[in-house]
Amino acid sequence: MTFKWIDQAATRRTFLKAAGGVSVAAVTGFSMPALAQSAEVTVISNENNATALEVLRRIGADFEKQSGTKVVINNMDHEAHKTAIRNYLVAGAPDICFWFSGNRMKAFVNRGLFDDISDLFEKEKYKDVLGTTTAAVTVDGKQYGLPTGGTMWGMFYRKDVFDEHGLTVPTNWDEFLAYGQKSKEAGLTPVAIGTKELWPAAGWFDQMNLRINGLDKHFALMNGEMAYTDATLKPVFDHWEELIKQGFFTPDHTSFGWQEAGAFLAQKKAGMMNLGAFVKYAFPEQDVGQLTFAPFPKIEGIDRYEEFSVNSVHIPANAKNKAGAREFLAFLYQPENLSAYLEPAGNVPPRHDLPPSKDPLVNAAVESLKTVAGSSQYYDRDTDPDMAQAGLTGFQEFMAKPERRDAILQRLEGTRRRIFKI
Amino acid sequence: MKTLWRHHRWWLTPTLLIMPAAILFSVVILASSVESLWISLHEWDGFGPMRWIGLDNYRELFNDPQFYVSLKNNVIWLVMFMLAPPLGLAIALLVNQKIRGMRFLKSLFFIPLVLASVAVGVVFSWVYTPQFGLLAIIFRFFGATAPAVLSDEHFVTFAVVTAALWPQTAFCMVLYLAGLNNLSEDLIGAGRVDGAKGWNMLRHIVLPQLTQVTFIAIAVTVVGALRSFDIISVMTSGGPFGSSSVLAYQMFEQSIFSYRFGYGAAIASVLFVIMAVFIVWYLSRIIRAEERGA
Repeated sequence: MTFKWIDQAATRRTFLKAAGGVSVAAVTGFSMPALAQSAEVTVISNENNATALEVLRRIGADFEKQSGTKVVINNMDHEAHKTAIRNYLVAGAPDICFWFSGNRMKAFVNRGLFDDISDLFEKEKYKDVLGTTTAAVTVDGKQYGLPTGGTMWGMFYRKDVFDEHGLTVPTNWDEFLAYGQKSKEAGLTPVAIGTKELWPAAGWFDQMNLRINGLDKHFALMNGEMAYTDATLKPVFDHWEELIKQGFFTPDHTSFGWQEAGAFLAQKKAGMMNLGAFVKYAFPEQDVGQLTFAPFPKIEGIDRYEEFSVNSVHIPANAKNKAGAREFLAFLYQPENLSAYLEPAGNVPPRHDLPPSKDPLVNAAVESLKTVAGSSQYYDRDTDPDMAQAGLTGFQEFMAKPERRDAILQRLEGTRRRIFKI
Repeated sequence: MKTLWRHHRWWLTPTLLIMPAAILFSVVILASSVESLWISLHEWDGFGPMRWIGLDNYRELFNDPQFYVSLKNNVIWLVMFMLAPPLGLAIALLVNQKIRGMRFLKSLFFIPLVLASVAVGVVFSWVYTPQFGLLAIIFRFFGATAPAVLSDEHFVTFAVVTAALWPQTAFCMVLYLAGLNNLSEDLIGAGRVDGAKGWNMLRHIVLPQLTQVTFIAIAVTVVGALRSFDIISVMTSGGPFGSSSVLAYQMFEQSIFSYRFGYGAAIASVLFVIMAVFIVWYLSRIIRAEERGA
């Protein structure tokens, strides 16, 4: 609530209204005044990018001008929001909130905390423009949110560094090993990685598992239907161990976050890095143009599956103004508004009908996505959060101490059995 | 009305005065401790329904290798933090001399106390950064390679405690400086007449007068060691792979990241018991001291 008052105090009249409302509430004993709430849509966003937030506020103001419904946008720190959402969805829900699609959305859908917006999908015919991305916000055939920006995960490298050392983009395993050899000879770390924040190691696992075992088996593991000690995972860890033993990764990677690892790539100390397009934030402005996207090299002769995580926006089940929220969502989702909002952070648009981005990395991801047979979101988005925490730690440990593989997998298997009640 | 007050004020006044503290203490500390204990007997993700599982959380906890790693780290914290009072005393004795510029030196030692521990953590993680941190530069000067202390499961806790010791030592120094200002001039004068100098003076005249200060310094340091959390969160997030976690951090991680409030509450309860042992010792010391004084 605090955020809201700050925003409202911007004009004296609303402040007086609010103050009046509070005193009325105090006198009559109502918990919250009805303060023209029907003509107001409150939004809680988790936008880290200042420009994108500015655009979102502008869209809110445009909507207000057009419809007369006031839009109050309360932005929260991205990380703090992850824990706050569990409180506010139950205790004091806004009319719209930003979150992540897939399993993380499902956790709230299963508890009845997100509103079914299939009617909005029907009315605005979103399925036609979203295509397969609809699946990311669908539970049991009903839609519970709108996909916003997506992150396409893959390998990133500097064009000038590759040219300078005569390196070529590896497309299969042998080429990848040869690339590693050559980049080490050139004095580069083949792959920059920082596992201090844990998740990059899990992302690497995802990529390898998708390339070796494919999407179905990957999801069996994510859904707790496959054991971590299963024989199908052995080649994944064998391949991974091969890379670790050959010194592919940044030494002491547990000391670095992704930004520091990204800096190694920017400073021409490393050859490639596995991340989303947001790796560009580790680059100085004038060098961003050198950054190039390449899919993770092929390992087994199977269809190509990629990691594509999609953020989303939802209407909480406890929202007060669900009709107004739907109107605002439809407004935000108009092509020109959506593309303006997604452009600053370099996110991949979910709609097919948006104009091409000015960002070549976004367009590369869009092109790459067209040839993909299916996609996962990311380890910590696809599996149970409790499992994810154990898995992230386990993969970090494996990258630092590959000789502990069996002990780690036994431990993860124990955690899986506890969580999925096997 | 007046007579009622007159008759009862012998117990009403103290009751009314204690009331605010008692209410606050029972709501914030007692009630929430009891509730934590209650939660620890359930499986609960923080917002869904709670499911009674009895002592299962504790059974799992005592079989959890991470629990023993955290417990061991708590012990390392406690033992290493005990360096803070003697170090603080040494610095206090050093800067308590009447020499020009001492005031400036004093404020330099005082600075870490002003910094937020999060800031201390960030600064130290820069110092420890492999390849280009201050530590790496110092090692390179002597032709050696600095170990990546925050990446090494054996060094990491020591590295974090060293960072935390910095402000803690400053705190002890301030306590001792206050204590040194209250020394009895008469006793020191008498000691000097009897020929006490240097170590003897410190050991037999100064230190006995600082017992109370030492007691407080140790108590504060123990509590500081047991509740260590923020600096771990900033410097390592308990990593690499949980090797620098302590009970307080493990509790946070289990409740917030793994959505296991029941298990987190069980860890909290164990931590509570450990703290209670110390608190009982502390209170009994205070009570004994008061009785002796009375």
